[in-house]
Amino acid sequence: MKNIATLMTADHRSCDNRLAAVEHAVSRKDWSSARAAFADFQAAMLAHFAAEETVLFPQFEQRTGISQGPTQVMRNEHVQMRQLLTAAGSALANNDQDDYSGEVETLLIMMQQHNVKEENVLYPMCDQHLATEIEQLITALLVQLDNPVKVTT
Amino acid sequence: MQALLSFDQAPPFAAPARFFVTAPLFAMLAGALILSTGPELFVSRWTAAALATTHLLSLGFLSQVMIGAMMQILPVVAGANLSRPLAVARMVHLTLVCGTLLLVLGFLTFNRLAFTSAAWTLGVGLATFVGTAGRALFKVSSNNPTIDGLKLSLLGLIGTVVLGLLLALSLSESWPLPLPQLTALHFGWGVIGWGFSLLLAVALVVVPMFQLTPAYPKWLAQTFCPLSLLLLVLQTIANLAGWSTVADVLASSLALGVALFAMETFRLQRRSARARFDASQQFWRLAMVCMLAACVLWLGLLWLPMLADQPIGPMLCGVLIFVGGFMSVMSGMLYKIVPFLVWLHLQNLCRAGEMAPNMNKVIGAKQIEWQLRVHLGALAFLLAAALSPSWFAYPAGAALLVANGGLLHNMLSALLFYRRHAARLMAAREDGASR
Repeated sequence: MKNIATLMTADHRSCDNRLAAVEHAVSRKDWSSARAAFADFQAAMLAHFAAEETVLFPQFEQRTGISQGPTQVMRNEHVQMRQLLTAAGSALANNDQDDYSGEVETLLIMMQQHNVKEENVLYPMCDQHLATEIEQLITALLVQLDNPVKVTT
Repeated sequence: MQALLSFDQAPPFAAPARFFVTAPLFAMLAGALILSTGPELFVSRWTAAALATTHLLSLGFLSQVMIGAMMQILPVVAGANLSRPLAVARMVHLTLVCGTLLLVLGFLTFNRLAFTSAAWTLGVGLATFVGTAGRALFKVSSNNPTIDGLKLSLLGLIGTVVLGLLLALSLSESWPLPLPQLTALHFGWGVIGWGFSLLLAVALVVVPMFQLTPAYPKWLAQTFCPLSLLLLVLQTIANLAGWSTVADVLASSLALGVALFAMETFRLQRRSARARFDASQQFWRLAMVCMLAACVLWLGLLWLPMLADQPIGPMLCGVLIFVGGFMSVMSGMLYKIVPFLVWLHLQNLCRAGEMAPNMNKVIGAKQIEWQLRVHLGALAFLLAAALSPSWFAYPAGAALLVANGGLLHNMLSALLFYRRHAARLMAAREDGASR
């Protein structure tokens, strides 16, 4: 991985694929596979948020001196996505396909518009401002991304 | 950097919503005009009623949706914030509504004052939009094809408006300008420079986004928008210089470009990771089929004299482009954008830990599927009316009216849903604050 944009964008796509795997299981009404796939998706999403909130954003904020700017907006959107993940998980636990579809469709658009902002604007800025420490940063991000966050219900 | 710092500043919901609600009203007016004019509307694209209908659809429906959507997506996709978005939206919306009605009145009555007023009203409104969006967008350094495409689509809109104003003022002031030639250029700039550029720029983001497909290939994403605009400029020069064969070759390359984009979109849709295609994606698929058919017909009209002599060719092409292509894709987009915005703005009113009702509760899937079917019916009747006006003109007008009545109903029910829940959430907040 040469830069932050490449690494984090690839992780966005990996989360998308996990979401699609849940959708396929739900459409087959294979609820146990759907719940397992959802747990996998949720863990990957939360690991991504954690990597940004504990590694990438603090570095960006420290280097640029901006803590109430774009990273704060991203943190707020993470809060909304965590709520949608919880709501979708509850719908799945109740085998409620309609509610699950509604929550997940909302989550999908929320996460995609969030991703566009990160991929088009924030990550390139991170690559630009954090060029000197890119290698250590990528190693630290990889550790977080490979370390799925356990969800307690 | 300034844009980046505030890139969550999406405009208030009232800014884009007004465009999305009035757009179907103009398409309903188009349906009503077809009903009141009857089969003679389809005799030639040069009849007053056909020109009025074309502008009710292109300016009244399509440009309204495109401008409303652009105001919403510029901060998200490009980090470009419009200054005073609500005031700009009010002004642009009002002038666009009044200007379109005046222009239609001008076509139907050939009243000089109506053309002059339409030209000034639309000119001021669209210049305000281009100025505001351009100022925000050109501040952002281009780092991806979507941002470049959005910038180029604004240039396309400028070209379309300048040619349109020339035409309107020629009609009101009797200027000795070659009207058919200018009309062809105005159509080309509107469809390719403004419509296709924006569609392409947006598709690069939303097709992979909503349908979970791989990205468009780099050769298409990076070259298509600038190449289309370059070909359009060259085609305009060739047309004005009277080099008709060169102009036709360039027009054919543009048609092939649109066809390639439609085929590439199909290919991507086939690789979608999603388990099923919802109505919004079906609208996209229908749009691509129609774009492809329009390109084939367009090439036929350019190169086959037996087809070029038939008045039905341009009429079919117009229906395929405006109703089958652009109206379909925009309806599909509205069914994603509007429920999401309702959810987002409601969620922002929620207290910590509270959840707004999800998108699917804003407009029911069945309502959307019904509207898709009626839209498909309207498209089929309009195509049939282009082929056989005496049989199908009235059913086509009625179907267009009903289909857009359905779209209006769905947009209004989303707004009412928003108002109802916003009032409830605000009351709960005030109640919580007073305790």
